Amino acid sequence: MEKKNNKTSVWLKYGIGSVVLLLLAYNSVYFRKLDEVKAEASGKFDAAAFAKTFLEKQLTPKLATAPDIDELTTLLSTDKNKAFDTYSHATAIGNIRYFLVKGQGTITKINENDLTIQTPKQQLTLAMEFIYGNALRDASGEFDITKFTKTADINNVSSELNKLIRASVVFPFRPKAKVGDTVQFAGAIALNKEHLNLAEIEVVPASLK
Amino acid sequence: MFHQKKITSVIQQVSLRVTPCQTPRNSVSEKSTAWLMLRLGGFFLFLLLVGCSEKKDSNAPKKMAIIISTLNNPWFVFLADNAAAKAKELGYETKIFDSQNNTALESDHFENALVSGYSAVLFNPTDAEGSVVNVRKAKAAGVPVFCMDREINATDAATSQILSDSYSGCVELAKLFVQQTNKKGTYVELLGLVGDNNTWARSQGFHSVVDNYPSLKMVAQQSADFDRNKAMDVMESILQANPNIDAVFCGNDAMAMGAYQALAAAGKASKVKVFGFDGADDVVSAIKDGKIVATGMQFPKVMAQTAAIYADEYLKGKREFAQKLPVAVELVTKKNIENYAAFGKKEQ
Repeated sequence: MEKKNNKTSVWLKYGIGSVVLLLLAYNSVYFRKLDEVKAEASGKFDAAAFAKTFLEKQLTPKLATAPDIDELTTLLSTDKNKAFDTYSHATAIGNIRYFLVKGQGTITKINENDLTIQTPKQQLTLAMEFIYGNALRDASGEFDITKFTKTADINNVSSELNKLIRASVVFPFRPKAKVGDTVQFAGAIALNKEHLNLAEIEVVPASLK
Repeated sequence: MFHQKKITSVIQQVSLRVTPCQTPRNSVSEKSTAWLMLRLGGFFLFLLLVGCSEKKDSNAPKKMAIIISTLNNPWFVFLADNAAAKAKELGYETKIFDSQNNTALESDHFENALVSGYSAVLFNPTDAEGSVVNVRKAKAAGVPVFCMDREINATDAATSQILSDSYSGCVELAKLFVQQTNKKGTYVELLGLVGDNNTWARSQGFHSVVDNYPSLKMVAQQSADFDRNKAMDVMESILQANPNIDAVFCGNDAMAMGAYQALAAAGKASKVKVFGFDGADDVVSAIKDGKIVATGMQFPKVMAQTAAIYADEYLKGKREFAQKLPVAVELVTKKNIENYAAFGKKEQ
């Protein structure tokens, strides 16, 4: 009986020891991306990498859920507060708010810095030159400012995101655009809630077809 | 803390008085008994004062200190007054401290605020680097600090920093600048105080756009310390070396007005496009008159009120605040000037 008890306690001892060892081994080995480790080691925020991931994983998937520009402007005309509360986002506090939009229209004029587009309900412009500012970063509502402590990092995300859009969306599209072409667009617009001006809407594109 | 200091002082005085009377420990004498009585008296006095001070603190309303870089500038006076008004509305006693752009004086104000039992500091820093130590001191004493308009070079000291989105405001100004100059020509940039982060945020926002246009050439970039007279002097000197500039970008409205004065004196005001930043009264008028092309309108009232609200929320238990909270800056031109007044919207 005593021998059996000894055997059990030995097995129990080895069993617990093995579990502890396995736990230690599991918590000692983990895998991380090299660029993450490098960025952490240098202590520098990689805005370009962040913007690329943000565009692919957060902004682009949201474009499909954006309201149609004609429906949005109709709502803005009839119930401004509801439109802003439902669809607008901004990182900064104040009156400038951003909306994701999508739509389709005909190119009616090619200007130096933009294209004039006629949708079924209204005229607007598609920015081709001045792709700057926070519209694309903020419009999706996916950008979380509380995760950033440095102003420069917050600004650099916008800057890098705009660079990506200029290079991958606008530059390939612009030379081929002709008056009379139909264009499907998705992107962001900025509106001032206090002084709403629906006559001069400019879409910063995130997708053009 | 103020009372504790007083108490320490009382005890020190008592000790100093009795020092000459001290005798060896093993000798029991009348003098040593008197000394013991005095110390006991001091101890009871201490208990009495602590009791009194605690009673006073529990009844007194909480206080917010408003420490401002300088009250010589009407913009900062507006910021301070609005912070005080909001804090009072929320039920706090307030006092405005003027640092006179002097970090040593600012440090004294923090000391005073901490020993006088202020619960929070609404703070407009004098120097992004030099003010950090004061904010850390307050944090160590358990007093939260909320920066307004100007930031400090630390992200773990203030509870939150509510700042104009100067970078983005200047991106919008720069887009207009590029359009107004038809993407070519020569220009001058007047910078503000080189030790202030706003100076560089504005300059970087501007250059993030303008530097993409190689036909736009910057012929001079000089600091004029956010000062109107200095900007006039600097602009006069620059014009001697570069008489044919097309535009001037200024880091604030005071400098824009100074630059405009120098250009007017040189007979070039109608040819050179001047851009400012702030939303000051005289620039709002100058935009109406076509003297200044545009400015970035800041909203000091929004910043001041948000800081006071955040401080109140903190004191009521909230702990999650964005370290940097931008306040949108709006582009003001002749086209939309009717919507604006000095320091913000007309309805404000």
